[in-house]
Amino acid sequence: MEYAIRTENLAKTYGKTFKALDGVSLQIKKGEVVGYVGPNGAGKTTTIKILTGLIRPTAGHAYVNGIDVAASPRDALRTIGALIEVPGVYDYLTPHEMLTYFGRVYGMRRDLVDRRIKETLELVRLPDWEDKKAGAFSTGMLRRLAIAKAILHKPDILILDEPVLGLDPKGIMEVRELLRQFRSEGMTVFLSSHLLSEVAEICDSVIFLDKGKVVSSDSIEGIGQRMDHGVVAVRFLRPLSPQDTERLRSIDLIKSVDVKNSTARLHYDGKPESSVQILKSLVSLNLDVVSFAGEGVGLEDYYVSVMSDEKGVN
Amino acid sequence: MATSAQSIGAGVSETWLSFRFELLKHLKRRRLFIVAGLAIVLPLLFYIYYYKQHPAAANDFANTSLTLMNVLILISAAMFAGDAVCGEFEKKTSLLLFPTPQKRSSIFAGKYIGALAATFLVVSLYYLVLTLQTGQLFGWGNIPAELGKSFAAALIYSTAAVSIVFFVSSVLKRSMSATIVGLLVLLMVLPIIAMILTQLNHEPWYIVTYSANLITSVLGGSGGLGGGRHEDVVRQFTPTFAKGMAVMVGYAIVALAAGMRIAVRKED
Repeated sequence: MEYAIRTENLAKTYGKTFKALDGVSLQIKKGEVVGYVGPNGAGKTTTIKILTGLIRPTAGHAYVNGIDVAASPRDALRTIGALIEVPGVYDYLTPHEMLTYFGRVYGMRRDLVDRRIKETLELVRLPDWEDKKAGAFSTGMLRRLAIAKAILHKPDILILDEPVLGLDPKGIMEVRELLRQFRSEGMTVFLSSHLLSEVAEICDSVIFLDKGKVVSSDSIEGIGQRMDHGVVAVRFLRPLSPQDTERLRSIDLIKSVDVKNSTARLHYDGKPESSVQILKSLVSLNLDVVSFAGEGVGLEDYYVSVMSDEKGVN
Repeated sequence: MATSAQSIGAGVSETWLSFRFELLKHLKRRRLFIVAGLAIVLPLLFYIYYYKQHPAAANDFANTSLTLMNVLILISAAMFAGDAVCGEFEKKTSLLLFPTPQKRSSIFAGKYIGALAATFLVVSLYYLVLTLQTGQLFGWGNIPAELGKSFAAALIYSTAAVSIVFFVSSVLKRSMSATIVGLLVLLMVLPIIAMILTQLNHEPWYIVTYSANLITSVLGGSGGLGGGRHEDVVRQFTPTFAKGMAVMVGYAIVALAAGMRIAVRKED
C-alpha cells in the first residue's frame, strides 16, 4: 500500500547527543486526517520540518506519496501544502503578488494562478484583501493567508503545524471550519497540535509523540473505547427520591450508584451490551430519563496517561 | 541525460522566478528607488558643489565624480544582498518559501542575481548621468574612452561586493548585522589592511578594495577630493587593470561559492 506520508526510523540529533527525534516511524493513509500530538519539545515540528524538506534527518527516511523527501525534494514537495509554525510574510507585498509567485513556483499557468488566487482567498475569507499590503493584516488574517498559500496548488496532502497558535477564539473557529472543509474534500491532513479538543474534533486518528518517540497511536474511536471506564451518566426529569435510588440499585448490571439531585452516575462492567440493557431497564422502571451518556475518559486523560513528565525539544 | 537536462531546465526556470520575485521585492520596498535616486543625484551634486568651483579637464572631472562610486556600490550591495539569506530565516518567510518544489540553490541564485541586477542598474545610472554631464560640459567628442574601462571595473567590483555581502548574509543570523558587517568589511577593514600594507611598502594587490581603485585610477588625472590616506595609497601603488580585474573576479567567485554552499545547507 502506498501511504500519503510514511517515515522510517526518522532520527534527528542536534550536537552529539541531543535527540530531537529518535526512530519515528509513521504511516498515514491517503485521505486520513491524523493528529500529531505531544508536549512542547516532543519533536512534532522537527518531524514536520523533515517532511517538508526544511531540515534533513540524521537517520531514517521520510516519504511523501512514496517519494523520499531528502532525495527528491522537488518532486516530493509538489503535492504538499504546508503551514509550519507561524510563518512570516512579505509585509510589503499584497496577497496577489505573493501568491502569484508561489503559483508560478508550482508550475501553474498565469490564468490558472489568477483564478486559484481568487478561489483560495474566497475560501479563507480574504477576497477583499487581494490587493492590500499584508503588513496591514491581523494575526488571524495572516494565518489565513498562509493557509491560502498552502492550498493554492490544490495539494493532495496538507501538513499543518499548530495552525491555530496565537489566534483568538474567532480565528480558531475559522481555521477549524477550513480544516473540516479540507477533510470533507478528501484531503490527507497531518495536523500537529497541542490542542486536544481540536484534534478530537477534526481527526480520524492520533499519534502521540514524546521525547522524540511515538508513544501511542490509535483512532479517536479506539481511544474512546479503550478509555471507557464503565460509568454512565444519567439525567432524570426530576430529582431522585431515596426510593428511586433503591430502584436503580436493584438493576442487576449496576454495581454502584452515585446520586446528586436529578443526576446519577451508574457504575457497571463497561460492556456496550450492558449499557444497552441498563437503558432498557431504566425506561421500563418509568424513571423519565432525559439523557444517557457513557462517561468515557477524554483525550486529555488519555494524553496524560501515555505521556511521561520529562520534556524533550521541539 | 534527459533527466539531467530537465533538471537544469527546471533550475533555470526556478532561478528566473526567484530573480523576478526578488526584483519585485526591491521595488516594493522602495530600496531600488532610493539607491537609484542617489545614483542620479550624486553626480549632479558633484557638478553643482564641486566642479563649478574647481573647473578641471574631462578626465579629472570624471575621476573626481567617481570618488563616491565605491561607497555607492557598497551601499547598494548591502541594501540588496544584506538580507538575501539571513532575512528569510530571521523573518521566518523561509517557512513559506522553502517547503515548495524548487531547489534552494535556485532560490538563492535568483536572489543573488536580483541583488546583482539592482546594483548594476544603480552603477549604470550613475555612469549614464556622469557621461551625459561630461559630454555636456566638455563636448561629446571629449568624453574619456577610459570611462568604459572604469565602468567595467565598477561592474566587476559590484559583483565582488554583492558576493561578499551575500556570503556575510549566509553566515550571520540577522539582516542588520549582515548589512553592517558587510559594509564594515568593505568600507573599513579591507581598506585599512590595504593602507597598512602600503605603508609597509608592500603592494596590497590581493585586497579587493585596493583593486577597486581601478574605477578611478584608469581615468588618470589627479582625481579625488584632495588629501587623505586613500590618495596616498593610490599614489604609491596603482593596481594594473588585468590583475585588479582578476582579483575582483576571484573574490566574486569564491565569496559566492562559499555563500551559496552555506545558504543551501542553512537550517533554522
